[in-house]
Amino acid sequence: MLDQAFDAGSLFRLRAAVAAHAAALGAGEAVYDVVLIAHELSSNAVRHGGGTGRLHLWSDADRIMCRVTDSGPGLADGAGRGDDLPSPQVPGGRGLWIVRRLAAVRVVTGASGTTITAAIPIPSGANRGGPAPAHDRNGRN
Amino acid sequence: MAVAIPVNRLERGDHACVTFSDAEERLDILAAFVSAGLECGDKVICFTDATGIEDDLRERDVLVAERQVCVVPTKQFWGDDAGPDAVAMVKRLAGEMARAQVEGRRGLRITADMCWAARPQANAEQLLAFESEVGKLFAEGKLTAICEYDRETFDPVTLAYATRVHPRTVAATVYYEDPTLRICRQHVPPGVRVAGELDYTRADVLSDALAEAVRLDHDVHLNLSHLRFIDAGAAAVILRAAANLPASRRMVVVCTTPIDRTLAVAGAAQVTQLTIMVRRDGR
Repeated sequence: MLDQAFDAGSLFRLRAAVAAHAAALGAGEAVYDVVLIAHELSSNAVRHGGGTGRLHLWSDADRIMCRVTDSGPGLADGAGRGDDLPSPQVPGGRGLWIVRRLAAVRVVTGASGTTITAAIPIPSGANRGGPAPAHDRNGRN
Repeated sequence: MAVAIPVNRLERGDHACVTFSDAEERLDILAAFVSAGLECGDKVICFTDATGIEDDLRERDVLVAERQVCVVPTKQFWGDDAGPDAVAMVKRLAGEMARAQVEGRRGLRITADMCWAARPQANAEQLLAFESEVGKLFAEGKLTAICEYDRETFDPVTLAYATRVHPRTVAATVYYEDPTLRICRQHVPPGVRVAGELDYTRADVLSDALAEAVRLDHDVHLNLSHLRFIDAGAAAVILRAAANLPASRRMVVVCTTPIDRTLAVAGAAQVTQLTIMVRRDGR
């Protein structure tokens, strides 16, 4: 599994690490979705969650799990955030919407921080095990 | 070294050195140069060893009719393994100019792919002698030429010399460039080209580039075929620029499947001015 701290300056490196680990965990064609979800959750933490956070990535049966934790002030509208797609005229606010379209999402948020866990389905026929099967066995945290 | 100009500011009779850093950029400049030549009635000869140039031009909406553009292998121009001979090359060009005149064309327009010159056996001195000698042919304004130098394959000394012996230097208009992202003006079809990885941190640069395209062009062509990653923040900038176009204008996005998928989940279907074309092979 991957366990990595990030801040505003390390999102590019984080995406590269997530792509490599998702491929090793057997995400197959879902690698791009995993990278996008990891980026959206992490960049939300950078912008609204205190500027830094931690990302965990592991596999659980037929899903890739991505969890991002920050110590920010919490989400204003809690677990309901990202339920509606903003109009094209609105500049932001699509991150969580996109994550919810691509994964099952659980949000835990409060005054001391936010943890969002996304479960991304692995498409059937993906090359499970891949080049580094050891990641699978280290499994859940 | 002269300041580089965009390709659409070249005039007939110009002899320019083109520097480029990727294939897409080179083809864009080539397409703009060739279509300007076809418009003004020039004969066009492309000296290159690359295959499929006609298809690449048609893909960029350059109307290449049968036999309007001749593609000639570089060794027919520069000579074979013996290496280039400047005098023979100038003679050959003068012959082509005379033939173009007999064929009733207004002039001759050539593009020369200089990639061969980076090979070990190439005689770089003859190349530079040619670039100096050929100047006479341009005096009448009937010959227009671009010599294409790949910034990745030539050393800085040769590149500096090449730009010095050409009266003009052409390069892409770059809005933003760092090791992970490049945002340029695209000439043919007109718009913006983005390569690398784009996220919210550079969305403002994309926004400015698109605003310029909206001012300059009727339909805005956004080439994302070499974009590997886009996030929600950058996707929102594209959707907003398209949504703000009047109903009679379009934004045409060319991209790969993952980028298409991200634009789709960000709400592309709501924007009627937006057309997305997916290229599977990334070309």
